[in-house]
Amino acid sequence: MRKKINPWLAGNIPLLVAVALPAALFLSVLVYFAGWAITFSFTDLETIGRKSVNWDWVGLKNYIRLFTRQGFLQSLWVTVIFTFFSAVIGQTIIGFLLAVALRGKRGLLKTTVEVSIMLGWLLPDIVAAFLWSASASQTGLINRVIIEPLGFAPINFMNDYALVVVIIANTWKGSAWSYLLFSAALDAVPKEIIEAAKVDGTTPIQRLWKVVIPMIRPHIATNMLFITIWTFTYFPLIYALTGGGPGNDTNVLAIFLYQTSFDVHRLGYGSAISVAMLLIVGALSIFYLRLLKEPK
Amino acid sequence: MTINSDQKHTPMATLALVFVAIIWISPFSWLFVNAVDTQATGELRWPQSIGIGNFVSAMSGSAAQQFMNSMILALGTATMTIVVAAGAAYFLSRVYIPGKTTILWALVVMRMMPTNGVLVPIYFTAEKSGLLNPLGVMIALTILNLPFTLLLLKNFFDTVPLELEEAAHVEGASLWEILRHVVLPLSRAGIAVVWFFSFTSAWNEFLFPLIFSRTDSVFPMSMGLYSAFGEHGAIQYGFLAAYSIVYAIPAIGVYFLLRRNMNTGFAGVGVKG
Repeated sequence: MRKKINPWLAGNIPLLVAVALPAALFLSVLVYFAGWAITFSFTDLETIGRKSVNWDWVGLKNYIRLFTRQGFLQSLWVTVIFTFFSAVIGQTIIGFLLAVALRGKRGLLKTTVEVSIMLGWLLPDIVAAFLWSASASQTGLINRVIIEPLGFAPINFMNDYALVVVIIANTWKGSAWSYLLFSAALDAVPKEIIEAAKVDGTTPIQRLWKVVIPMIRPHIATNMLFITIWTFTYFPLIYALTGGGPGNDTNVLAIFLYQTSFDVHRLGYGSAISVAMLLIVGALSIFYLRLLKEPK
Repeated sequence: MTINSDQKHTPMATLALVFVAIIWISPFSWLFVNAVDTQATGELRWPQSIGIGNFVSAMSGSAAQQFMNSMILALGTATMTIVVAAGAAYFLSRVYIPGKTTILWALVVMRMMPTNGVLVPIYFTAEKSGLLNPLGVMIALTILNLPFTLLLLKNFFDTVPLELEEAAHVEGASLWEILRHVVLPLSRAGIAVVWFFSFTSAWNEFLFPLIFSRTDSVFPMSMGLYSAFGEHGAIQYGFLAAYSIVYAIPAIGVYFLLRRNMNTGFAGVGVKG
C-alpha cells in the first residue's frame, strides 16, 4: 500500500532527502559505535602504548575476566544497591507520597515543596555534588545541625558512610521527576471513582491500594523503567562526590567503566563492561515493559 | 490524608510536608548564606559580613571564561541538535518510506541505550579525528540527543494539520514558505522543548568535558567547579557557593522561561487559536 505524496512535497523530494541526511548520518554513526563497542570487547585494545595500534583478538577473555576478577562483580553489587535504594525506594516512594499528599491542594506549602524539589532536579549534577560534599563533611551542615546538637562527636560521612551519602544525594536530586509523573497520573484518575469508593465506606489506605494504584500501574512501570535505567548508568554526581571511593565503596559500574577505560587505559576490557551494562539495561527494560503490558 | 477532595491537610500530613520542605531547602539556604558572606567558612551561620565579593570573583577571570565555554557548548549543542533533527523529523512525519515503523522503533531503542555503552568508541573516534575539544563534545552530545529529539519533533510535526499546508500550497506558497509560515509557527512549542532539553543537558554535562578537555582553558563550568572543590587544601566556600549559583541559574532559568511551552509541549498540543 503506497500513500500518495502530498503535492507540495512532490517537487521537493531531493531537498527533503538532503535535510534528512545529516540526521541519518549521525544515527548511523551511533549504530556504528554500538557495533564497535561489541567488536572491541573481543580485543585487547588500549588507549596508549603498543596495544593502541597492534591490538589482538582475545576471544571471550574480557568477558571471562568480568566474572573471575573482583572488580566487575563488586561494582555491579554497589550499582544494584545504589539503584535499588535511591531510585526504586527513594525517588519512587518519595515522589509518590508527595504526589498523593499534594493532590488537589493549593497554597504556600504546596508551592514551597514543589519549587524546592524542582530546584534540586534542575540543579547541575556538579553543583549538587558540591552541596552534598559540603553538607556531609566533618564541619558540614549535617554534623552541625543534627549530629552535634544531639551530643555525638562529628562523623566523617564521606569516609564512613559514602554510599549512604550518594544514595541520599541522588534521592534528593531526582525525586521531582517521579513526583511530576505521579502527579499527572493521579490527576487523570476520575474523581467519581474515588467518590464511589468513599461511599462504599473504604478507608483512605484501601482507596489508595485497591483503587488508585491499580489504575496508575502503567505510570508506575514507566517511572520505574526510566529512573532505573538512568540511575543504573548514572555517573557525574557520584564521581564528583566520591570518585568511587573510599576504597571501592561507591564504585558503581559507570565509574568502574570510566576508570578501566581512561585511567587504566584498557579500552577492550572497558568495551566488555559497556556491553555488559547494555545487556543488563536491556534486560531491565524488557522486564518493566512486560509489567507495563500485562493486564491487571 | 490521601485521595480525598478536601482542601485541608491533616496536621500529620502538614508536619510531614514541612519536614520534607526543610530537608530539600536546607542545602540551598546553606548555599545562599555562604555565597553572600565574604568570610564564608562553609558553616551554616548568619553571614559575618554581607557583600557581593564572591559573586564578583565568580564572574570574572577564569570563572568568566568557564561561563563563556559552557554557554558556547550549550548554545552550540542546542542549535546543532535542532538543525540536524528538524529536517529529518519533518521528513519522517510527512514522507512515506518503507519500513518507517521499524525506524521509529529503532529510535525508541536507541533512546533507551545508555551513554556509557558507546563511551569508548566515541572517545577513540574523537581522538583519532582530532576532536578532543569542545566541538567534539557538541557533536557527541548532538548524536546522543538525536533519537529522543527526532521522536519528539516528529510527533509535533504530526500535529500540524495537513489541510493548512495544503491550503497554503493552493495559494501558491513554495515548500520553504509553507515551512516558514505554517509549520514552524505551529510547532514552536515542540522546538522550544527540544531546545530546552539539549541546552540544559549540554550545560550540565560533565562526563564528556571530563574525557574530552585537554586544557584548563576549554573547561566548562561543570569541570571548573569539579576541579575546584576536588582540590586539596583550603576550599574557598564563599567563592564556590557563588560560582554554583551563577552556574545553576541558566539551567533553572531556561526551564521556568519555557515552562508554558513545556506543558503544551508534553501534552502534544500544537495548534492554538
